[in-house]
Amino acid sequence: MVDIGILLQILFWGIYAGCIYILLATGLNLIFGVMKIVNFAHGEFLMIGAYITATVFFLTGINPYLIILISMLALVAIGAVVERLCFRPILGTGKLNEIFLSIGLIYIFQNATAMIWGDEWQSIKSPYEGITIPIGSLNVPLDYIIIMVVTAVILCALYLFLKKTKTGREMRATSQNRKGAKLVGINVERMDVLSFGIGCALAAAAGTLWVVSGQVFNPYMGSIPAIKAFAIIILGGLGSIPGAIVGGLIYGIAENGAAYYLGGVWKDAISFVILIVVLVLKPTGLFGESGE
Amino acid sequence: MKYSVLFIAALLIATALIAGCTQQAAAPAQKGEIKVGVIASLTGPASNVGKNMGQSAQVAADEINANGGILLSGSTTKVPIKLIVGDDESTQQGGQKAATKLITDDKVDILVGGYSSAVTSAYEQTIAEYKVPYIVTGASSPIITHRTDIDTSYIFHHCPTTDSYGQYTTTFIDQVVRPAVNTKFNFPDSRPFRLALLYQDTAFGKGVQTAVNNTIMQNKLNIVLVSQQSFKMGESDFRTPLTAIKAASPDAVYIAAFPNEGAPAITQGRRDIGLNTLFLSVENNDNAQFYKDIGQYGEGSIIESRFSPYTAPTGALADAQSKFKNSYNAKWGVYPDMMGASTYEGVYIAAKAIGNAGTTDKATVRQALVTLNMPHVIEAMKGGTISFTPDFRESQFDLWMEQLVYNQTIGECRPFIVWPDNLKVTNFVLPSWYKPGSA
Repeated sequence: MVDIGILLQILFWGIYAGCIYILLATGLNLIFGVMKIVNFAHGEFLMIGAYITATVFFLTGINPYLIILISMLALVAIGAVVERLCFRPILGTGKLNEIFLSIGLIYIFQNATAMIWGDEWQSIKSPYEGITIPIGSLNVPLDYIIIMVVTAVILCALYLFLKKTKTGREMRATSQNRKGAKLVGINVERMDVLSFGIGCALAAAAGTLWVVSGQVFNPYMGSIPAIKAFAIIILGGLGSIPGAIVGGLIYGIAENGAAYYLGGVWKDAISFVILIVVLVLKPTGLFGESGE
Repeated sequence: MKYSVLFIAALLIATALIAGCTQQAAAPAQKGEIKVGVIASLTGPASNVGKNMGQSAQVAADEINANGGILLSGSTTKVPIKLIVGDDESTQQGGQKAATKLITDDKVDILVGGYSSAVTSAYEQTIAEYKVPYIVTGASSPIITHRTDIDTSYIFHHCPTTDSYGQYTTTFIDQVVRPAVNTKFNFPDSRPFRLALLYQDTAFGKGVQTAVNNTIMQNKLNIVLVSQQSFKMGESDFRTPLTAIKAASPDAVYIAAFPNEGAPAITQGRRDIGLNTLFLSVENNDNAQFYKDIGQYGEGSIIESRFSPYTAPTGALADAQSKFKNSYNAKWGVYPDMMGASTYEGVYIAAKAIGNAGTTDKATVRQALVTLNMPHVIEAMKGGTISFTPDFRESQFDLWMEQLVYNQTIGECRPFIVWPDNLKVTNFVLPSWYKPGSA
């Protein structure tokens, strides 16, 4: 007999995991939507965001939830530099160049991080780690509520930016039709830098929430989440931000459900089983449009 | 297009150069050196323990060389050790690369090290092929020397196997924890103790699982395994398997994990899941970073151990352990862990075997290891000597159980030996917040 309390707990942990995936996948999708580039090094921005948050926290003791802003701003800058120096020169030269470039970036970021911070695992303590809130039959740590709220706030802010601001509309226009956007006078290269920077900032937010939740981090932490983020955006539909959100939630819940019912070794595998099933039934993904 | 190709080529070269920075390059061979290769996880998820192993080996080599080195037959002067550390990158492929390079390029005379059982077993075929004596000091799965698909006769196991410490911990649960729970909560002795397992889905974790199951069955212990949850190596989110464990109402949870997994598992269990139960950990968690990460949530938990950065049994080896810890701390600025201790001893064992053999001829050194009988170095060995069993070439350790007590001043837990009786400094106590499971 299924215990509803257990199901609710698994659902809760799934939503928590989904929040990290959503932020990572949304950033990746934003970049793909505007620039149409494949960046396998996106998980490394999550990792760098985690390290920046931890470093500022160790140096200043500031509440790590506030450091998320510092980390995101730093990643906007790092993302802009990476876009300008690495991806812009090869834009439109073929997917193989993008793939090899991003694989190279993975090693560069991992080794550079290991040289700067060391490659041993680390962890930080949230100031709220001892606080729990009763929600129905669950006794939920406050940190996870904050993580979900922060994720929702970031996504709402992104939605408002894309829908209500001129720059956001220009970014969407570039995403829909790059040539058309150019023809109507939109500076698409500026859109590239902006989308890459914002995408990296979202990865930094994911990295910050990862470390605040008490998970350990090291320079190699980004690789698996990046692969999952790719699977999520394919599942949700390439370029579709609602698809990334729904896909992230599906993956988070499915992984935790699989870990409970099938065992921990199925945690990662179930994501790709779902991906294969969805692609067989709907090759463009849940929210994708044909031609992407 | 031309520029992008050039750029990517430059990038790949830079990547290779930077990646190479994490590998210790081997210096050219010099005459009159005995080359000891150390395989350790210098990078990747197991790098905390791996670096400890490599650095401990260096401390041993420095000490041996400070005494002149090793005396070989037909020579009046000792020959110094040259230590070459290979990085297995915490992966099977990395282990294969490191072993091959050390054997074929660096031409080492003997090998020491190996942490993850999954990684170590992946390159054992290479060891068998080249017949290089290898003293495994970290990989604890018995398959390391028990497997029959390859020739393991050149491999010697100098760390307790999952069989031995799985059995030891289960016996401790039966003899100490179960009676304490029954006494405190007025349970009849006939009540089965409810044990849950959280284990890494590798040869190491499965080895512990098998040992616990076998110990319960063979000794007819009054312990029932209420939940057995696995996880992938390197996992950091244990909330769902711990939720499943909590649903099974355990009296205690035995975690077979690396320290970078064990610390978050206990923290998440206590903090996020509300598992107010006793957590027991495998010996490799007796690591300074583990104590730092686990913080207040380690209070009351148990670690099976044989060497700790923060405690030692009183007796003849206390001074030797203290000397090693101080030498290590002076050289590297931190304290060594258990895998470092056995690797430190591994280098001494290698030196002793080569000294006894009087040559670096690999077959002769192997035979010297087979007949080795040397006084224990820093870890307590059964009978006070290091020797390898004739069947599976395993050395026999004296183990103990520690209970962690939270020290508010330093903000970390510290271990106290609670079992066996001849080593304990205090009694095992159930924490005040402990809640037993129920059927």
